[in-house]
Amino acid sequence: MNLELSDEQVALRDTVRRALAAEPPDRTWERLAALGALDILVPDASGGSGLGMVEAALVSEEMGRARYAGPWLATAVAAVRAAAAVGAPFVPGGRTAAVALPWPGHEVGFALDGDGRVTGTQHHVLGAPPADVLLLPATRDGDVLLVAVEGVDSAAEPGLDATTAVGTVAVDGAGGEVLGRLPDGALDAVRDDVLVAWAADALGAARAVLALAVEHAKVRHQFGQPIGAFQAVQHLLVDALETVELVAGGVLYAAWAADAGEPAERHMAALRLKAFAARLATVGDIAIQVLGGIGYTWEHDAHRYLRRLLGWSVAFGPASSYQVEVGRRVIRSEAPSAPGGRGRGATSSRRRS
Amino acid sequence: MGVDFRLPPPVQAFRDELRAWLAANLTDDVRDAARRRGSDDDAALAVLRSWDRTMADAGWAAIAWPVEYGGRGATALEQLVFTEETIAAGAPTPVNVIGINNIAPAIMEYGTEQQKRVLLPRMVRADDIWCQGMSEPDAGSDLASLRTRAVRDGDDFVVTGQKTWTSNGHRADWCALFVRTDPDVPKHRGISCLVVDMRSRGIDARPLRTLTGDAEFAEVFFDEVRVPAGALLGPLDGGWAVATSTLSHERAGAARLYAMIRLRLRDLVADLRAAEGQGLVEGDDPLVLARLGELDTRLAFLAVLCQRSIAATGADASGSASLAKTVWGELEQDVAALGHELLGAHDPGGRWSVARLSTRSLTIAGGTTQVNKNVTAQRVLGLPRR
Repeated sequence: MNLELSDEQVALRDTVRRALAAEPPDRTWERLAALGALDILVPDASGGSGLGMVEAALVSEEMGRARYAGPWLATAVAAVRAAAAVGAPFVPGGRTAAVALPWPGHEVGFALDGDGRVTGTQHHVLGAPPADVLLLPATRDGDVLLVAVEGVDSAAEPGLDATTAVGTVAVDGAGGEVLGRLPDGALDAVRDDVLVAWAADALGAARAVLALAVEHAKVRHQFGQPIGAFQAVQHLLVDALETVELVAGGVLYAAWAADAGEPAERHMAALRLKAFAARLATVGDIAIQVLGGIGYTWEHDAHRYLRRLLGWSVAFGPASSYQVEVGRRVIRSEAPSAPGGRGRGATSSRRRS
Repeated sequence: MGVDFRLPPPVQAFRDELRAWLAANLTDDVRDAARRRGSDDDAALAVLRSWDRTMADAGWAAIAWPVEYGGRGATALEQLVFTEETIAAGAPTPVNVIGINNIAPAIMEYGTEQQKRVLLPRMVRADDIWCQGMSEPDAGSDLASLRTRAVRDGDDFVVTGQKTWTSNGHRADWCALFVRTDPDVPKHRGISCLVVDMRSRGIDARPLRTLTGDAEFAEVFFDEVRVPAGALLGPLDGGWAVATSTLSHERAGAARLYAMIRLRLRDLVADLRAAEGQGLVEGDDPLVLARLGELDTRLAFLAVLCQRSIAATGADASGSASLAKTVWGELEQDVAALGHELLGAHDPGGRWSVARLSTRSLTIAGGTTQVNKNVTAQRVLGLPRR
């Protein structure tokens, strides 16, 4: 058992951190592409870095810390994993991509007709726009196929968080390339990986905003002393630290399990992260409380981190529905399903929408 | 080496060996006694002491102790596995757990050969029962302000004062007693530790009934008790270091935290299912499921927090251990609260009703959550002291 990062993992994290902080900011995507951060999950044999979800989570945490606005998560995790699931490796190069993942328990949004044309709609697609390549799960004859389309305009859904691109993909008879058939549960597994990486992103944002609040508490004086000397303030910050460290453990485990765990356990690990998403957002709330008036201003970055955390808290549904799903699995104590097998149906009960 | 949650094969083999031994030796009467640990039940205590002897004879007691003192010199991961397995199996915590983890390390470091040879084997086998005299009526969270005093008189110390919240104090044969030997220096520096025979004249140990109605603790009064000077454990006025001495590689404490809650949650799920079968509980109520899911999530994350502090090769830089204790206390309270809320009406006086009350101690004993948060704020976040 080893729960500490290797030297290589630390080096990767530091390299990505430097690339995100470097000038000019509008060349960050190119810098990330140049150092291989987009191909991190692409297997060696396909020309990628051949690393795993532990490394992807480390990179994602840096994205959150830097509040990076580029579609790294949609491209380097969602698209790469979805393409891998159908045996058609996707190497981003410098391209941006997105996968039209449905929420758990919902049907896929697209259908493929006999002429190979795709029609349908999917809301809340991470990274669309600006994706160059859209990977659409589409039904045909009872199968779900993954179809790559390019040159489609998607409509941005403006949300609280300007640094997380989410949009609606709507196509009507669009031509595309069928990459392959998605095995049962594959889309849920892709979503699980996205959940894990997104949680890591939110963890990075939470760590960063907590650090701002802690620093403020050390230097801001009221009543003749640093406000961080007051127990009431200390306890707020420790509550936030507790949340951060709990999630850090959850992310580490889920990222490891994503590549090495039993299917039922890796699914459960991803669900738990999302079940805790609302609590993670409280780190932003607490930071603003400790920062006081300055934390409520537009100029201060605190609200930008909070927005990023809130983006995670509404991603793929509310945290409460994931709590219910985790609870259902606990009380039903489902036996782990066979590797690669069924029973991975995310939130198992089909919702009527 | 990258991140890996798997245990290495030798530790897996250790787990298999222990699991097989527990399956062959742990009987239902011992499990029952484990549940009644801390109650007034003398019959249960007899079973627990007998179980400690069984464990010791089979080489499964005090595994973190060095081999020369009858332990196994177990590694951190072996301690983690041992703790997980014994708790999951429902095996009792040793009667002398405080002695084994907190007093024995000081005896090993500071004790005479005679003390080591005689006291330690009897401690681990529960032939003697040990207590630790620390808390006083006016020294709780602020332990260093203790006032029980020991004055040198010829070849003896003469001890006068009062201890409280002394686990097993009314049953103990020996006490590691912390006393003030120098009232004229800053409070941490004037404390010493004495190994006191509880049959000495002038000791009055009265059971202290807690809010559950049981007497797990005692108040212990010392009225001019003569203790031979040779009973001093560690340097005169060096008791604070003795109090904080632990085995340098003792890590099982952190594993206990999540392993206990895992067991409680498993019990809760089993009881909920049984109640559901009788039509007493709505097992698909999303409000219940959400709370259960939140508890399971916090538990899973806590387990990693604990495992990180156990598996850490260097210092515990993230302060995992102090955070883990805070999380654990509240989580176990929340599990008990859900159990009581759903099942208490159907089983009044049953285990969830008792747990609902008894778990209040978990955010008080061993340092309150509030003091713990102060420590975390200052040591981990680097916030100033007032």
